Amino acid sequence: MPRSTALRRTSPVAGLHRRRLSFAEVLAQSVSALAPSAAMVTTPGIVLVGSGVATLPAFLAATVLVLLVGWCVSVFARRMAAVGGVYSYTAKGLGPAGALLGGWSLVIGYAAVSMSALTGCALYLAALFGLSGPWIAVLVLLVGGLAGWCTVRGMQLSARVALALEVVSIAVVLVVLTVLVVRADGGPGTAAPVVDGDVRWSGVAIGVVLGVTAFMGFESAGTLGVEAQRPLLAVPRAVLWTPAVAGVLFLAAAAAQVFLLRQAPLEVLMSPVPISALSADIGWISQLLDVGIAASFFACVTGSTNALARVLFSMGREGVLSARLGRTHRRFGTPWTALLVAVPVVLGVPLIALLAGAAPRSVLTGTLTVSAFGYVLAYVLVCLAAPLFLRRIGELTRGPLAGGLLAAGLWTLVLVVAGTGSSWQNGRWLAVVFLAALLPGVLWLAWLRWRRPGRLRDVGVYDEPTVDSVLPGSLAA
Amino acid sequence: MPADRGLTGRQPTAVQSALSVLECVASLGAGVTAKEVALALDMPPATAYRLLNLLVGEEYLVRLPDLRGFALGRKVAGLAGAIAPVRVPRAALAVVHALRSQVRAGVHLVVYTATTLRVADVDPDLPLASVELVERHLHASAAGRLLLGAQPEWRDLLPPSRLARLTAATLDRPDGVDAALAAVRTQGWAGQAGEVHEGVACLAVPVRSDGGLLVAGVVVTSARAVVPAEHLAAAQRCVAELVPLLS
Repeated sequence: MPRSTALRRTSPVAGLHRRRLSFAEVLAQSVSALAPSAAMVTTPGIVLVGSGVATLPAFLAATVLVLLVGWCVSVFARRMAAVGGVYSYTAKGLGPAGALLGGWSLVIGYAAVSMSALTGCALYLAALFGLSGPWIAVLVLLVGGLAGWCTVRGMQLSARVALALEVVSIAVVLVVLTVLVVRADGGPGTAAPVVDGDVRWSGVAIGVVLGVTAFMGFESAGTLGVEAQRPLLAVPRAVLWTPAVAGVLFLAAAAAQVFLLRQAPLEVLMSPVPISALSADIGWISQLLDVGIAASFFACVTGSTNALARVLFSMGREGVLSARLGRTHRRFGTPWTALLVAVPVVLGVPLIALLAGAAPRSVLTGTLTVSAFGYVLAYVLVCLAAPLFLRRIGELTRGPLAGGLLAAGLWTLVLVVAGTGSSWQNGRWLAVVFLAALLPGVLWLAWLRWRRPGRLRDVGVYDEPTVDSVLPGSLAA
Repeated sequence: MPADRGLTGRQPTAVQSALSVLECVASLGAGVTAKEVALALDMPPATAYRLLNLLVGEEYLVRLPDLRGFALGRKVAGLAGAIAPVRVPRAALAVVHALRSQVRAGVHLVVYTATTLRVADVDPDLPLASVELVERHLHASAAGRLLLGAQPEWRDLLPPSRLARLTAATLDRPDGVDAALAAVRTQGWAGQAGEVHEGVACLAVPVRSDGGLLVAGVVVTSARAVVPAEHLAAAQRCVAELVPLLS
């Protein structure tokens, strides 16, 4: 079989700052996009309502499901340093059509979660300063502007900011949970029957689906293939460590909340942030918590926007979208044109929704739900792509074949439960919103296939080795 | 970042296997696939794939753009450069000696591989204060900056955490090194004053092969604290004579 060993002189994704980020900074990308502390205080309460006694097993199952995706992603991340993350990986297994479906879905996921985190950050900052109403829209504008500036100014800056904010906010949440558990001494409260509620399969399934949404964004280190030092080691490690550590944090937070909420009144359990309601009598704790959650949400805005811009950048370099999206800033080494497109959208949608009179909390949960659909579809496709990719390069073994198929099957189930589950807020209506957002991508794909098939040829660009990366003289030019 | 996770000193077999994989890619040639490596070494495929990925991660191997084939990475030059004795043709040494008789400064010859620098000939009358410092602290010495300037990304060779501060004047910030290397690339030679030792300056002029590959460098050191630019023209003439002898 003829083999292409021809090497280019420059990488097709040149222009980003190469090999700058340490492992901690790569990890920060995944952790910030996942926003663990916000999920630690909000998700367990929601899962408890549906899953009752099965809450902890539901979180455990969610962790395992996410680790399966992480493992499939690491199959690619060990072999290619991509900028489009899961999108570029999918391309190497499923080809352009599957990649574009997954990639557009991922774009929706990253964009919607950025909007959600932006609204969340504004909401908690407003609570901290006792502001409300139009101030939240003003805060969205300010926070979004600041986050956008961080992302354009440099990947290292935003990674370091995110790392610092995440360390602070996780520490805050752990301190608050510890204080609450230590001082708890009451008997069972009115929420106890729900907390110890019977296990119903539908409830557990919804619990697992809600649980996995808490992890989304963990794969975004895959967009740092150029910028990371030793990306083929750092990226797979970040993609596997992030869900493992987050899983432990979520289980600990869920266990603490099961214990605490059993003693709480039912209104507390049904409130958006039960921990906040539990600690309402200690002023400094709820303020500290607001600071922690706002910090986590801010890091999530920068993390998700960075990932979003890098997927768009890859599409620009491939020619799938306008080549202008593939430009990089000469001094900062960031995909600034892609950011310039992404940031106004991320800012604009929640701003318009808020100005049109939507409740901030519905904007937060609505965009989060839409993003979850985006991520899950992208995950299904990347899991399916992993064994196909390995077969194509002749490295398929039994493990990845079984793992990839199992993961794709289970995540399809997650997608079905999410799409048909009626018990989560406006689930079906938001599924329609997601499909509507997916439609332009599908139509664009169809048009390219029909009229411009050449523009699909380069789908899946990554940081290829160049003439300079091989031993001089070892390869005939 | 710990480099040896999953492959500790307590697993000699793993190290042997990894080295045999490296050797196999070297002997079978660029473009060899993972399956062919596993077959040639009679190794379970999953083990071979894991070791290949590890060696690619450490950049001793490169996965070619078809994602199937492997080739030796640039980093291997570092291994070979450190092992092989430095050999310089007598004619080239004679050219360097001639320069020594012309200038009142120390004249030294360094040779390069893709990723390493070795001092090949030290001026016997005005020796380098420390050969080790020049070979190790590539960001501080003029000869080292030629090597860093020839890298696609100098951070691969010298992680910013290892930018040692040898004197008060040493460039120890990554953006400072970026600027210095940009200057090296535009002016075609490198110089430094007081960055390796207080009060000692040097300049280095590159000897390049026809393909533009950096193969050697002529270093002129001065005991004054300014870059000895007055010797630049002489050093450049010397380099012009060395090009056919060394490349």
